Formats: sequence, C-alpha cells, structure tokens
Amino acid sequence: MFRRRRSEQIPELNTSSTADISFMLLIFFLVTSSMDTDKGLLRQLPPPPLEEQPPTDVEKDHVMTVTLDARDQLSCNGTLLTTAQLTQEVMDFVSADPREHVISIQADRQTTYEAYYRMQNAIVAAYQRLRASGGEYPMRIREQKPTEGGGR
Amino acid sequence: MRKMQPMFRRSSHEMPGLNLASMPDLIFTVLFFFMLVTHMRHDEVKVRYEVPAGTEVTKLDQRSSVVNVYIGKAESQKEGYCIQVNGRMTDLAHLSATIDAERRKMSPENAERLTVSLKADKKTPMGLIADVKQALQQAYALRINYSGREVK
Repeated sequence: MFRRRRSEQIPELNTSSTADISFMLLIFFLVTSSMDTDKGLLRQLPPPPLEEQPPTDVEKDHVMTVTLDARDQLSCNGTLLTTAQLTQEVMDFVSADPREHVISIQADRQTTYEAYYRMQNAIVAAYQRLRASGGEYPMRIREQKPTEGGGR
Repeated sequence: MRKMQPMFRRSSHEMPGLNLASMPDLIFTVLFFFMLVTHMRHDEVKVRYEVPAGTEVTKLDQRSSVVNVYIGKAESQKEGYCIQVNGRMTDLAHLSATIDAERRKMSPENAERLTVSLKADKKTPMGLIADVKQALQQAYALRINYSGREVK
C-alpha cells in the first residue's frame, strides 16, 4: 500500500481548452473594439462677444484676409489660389511678423465644410512648418462672421 | 530471433506532434492588447457623416472629457442636416442647453477641460457650422476639435 502511494503522480490538468477560451475572448474584443482614435484639428474658440465690446483696431499691414466663397473658391487678399499656395503665403506672411500678424478667415454660409477644413489644414501646416525650423509662432487667427451667399 | 528490419525505414517514421503549450500564452498576449486598446462605443450614431481629410490632424486623448457633436444627414430623412450630441438628437436651439447638460454629467476636472469633437459631414454648409460654433460659444465650450481623417 505504502509503496503504491509513492508511485502515484498528481494528474496533470488538461489545458487544451485554454486556447479555445482565450480565442473566444479574443474574438469578442476584436469585434467590440473600435480602433478609431479621434483625430482632428484642435482649436480654441474666442469667448462669446460681449455687447459693449469695442472693436479692436489692427493695422491693415498686419492683416491677411483669407476668404472662401460660396463656390468653395479660396482667395487670399483678393487673389485666387490653391491650398498649397496658401500654405506658402501664410508662411511668408507669418515669418515676416510673428508677433503682430492676424489671419482673418471669412467663409460663406454656402461654403462646404470640406473646403473650410482644407483651408484650416493649410494654415495649420504653415505654422507647423515654421515651428519645425525653430522659434515661436503664436497662432493668431480671427474668424469673421460668414457672408450671406456671396459669389454665387 | 530478431524481426527483420524493413528495407525502407520511412514507413516506421511518425510525424512528431506540434507542441501547442505556448499557444494560449500567445493568444493571451494578443487578448490583453485588445483589452487595453478597446473602448466600448456607447452612443449609437444616428446621422450619416463622412469627416473631411487633413494632413495636420493630431490625436485627441482624454476621452472622458470629450463631447461628440455629430452633424450629418439623418438616415430617416433625405433633406436637411441633423445634430446629435453624444447619444441624443438635438437641434440648434437646444444645442447650448444640451452641452450644458453633458457638462453637468462630468466630474469637475473633466468639465473644466471639456472638448467638443465636431464630427461634421464634409458637405455640410458652413452656415450651419458657424451657427453650431456660436451655440458652443454661448455654452462656453471653447475647446473644439474639428474631427478629420488623416492622410499622408
């Protein structure tokens, strides 16, 4: 009897189903996970305008006006251009005057969001390229009220 | 007397079994990865939208302080754009109140750095976007993220 017990071995746990269980869990998480990390352009809006706020005067030389009309045509200070050209224009303009410059954005109520997004993207790209080469370039963008169906 | 060896030994060869002992470990590793990156999507999106694409998009983190605002066409109707805040449909007139309600649901720390992620369809006219932004200003939800796809 004593001898028999010595020879007894602890039975091994059958682990062949662990793989199946973990596969099930894995598939569950695969299906439910949404990998969409939210990406976008982060912006700070100005606080709501107060009634008796005097309009601030900015010198005309410091202002660059970027407009989008109802047909999604992009223009800068009155001349039509592409987004790549806009990036270059903004880079030239901002690097000349990093502290005082103002970029004034004006869209139309009929402009599509996509065109507006491309314009914002082009402006951000200009700042990013300037910052990559060193130096501080605060983003000074003012958004104007959209125009009413102009250019249609 | 010894049995005679077969002429070709091949027939006596057995295929060695593949050792599957490490498979559960592998699967568990993948499982943990998905468990970490996953987050359950809790709001059902009722509007159809396609965000614009940009090159300069940045990742938006701290999901607990993000309020999603979806702008797009509702699936039930053909005409007009609808606004959805997190899980609920709303309209322009009630947008600022809805944002306030969402803010009240958050913890004070999260409410302080509340960010609105604007997921708008790329065909949306800017008039609506401007109205939405004005409502966000009224609700003092000033940090906004123009959600977009990343293109290289």
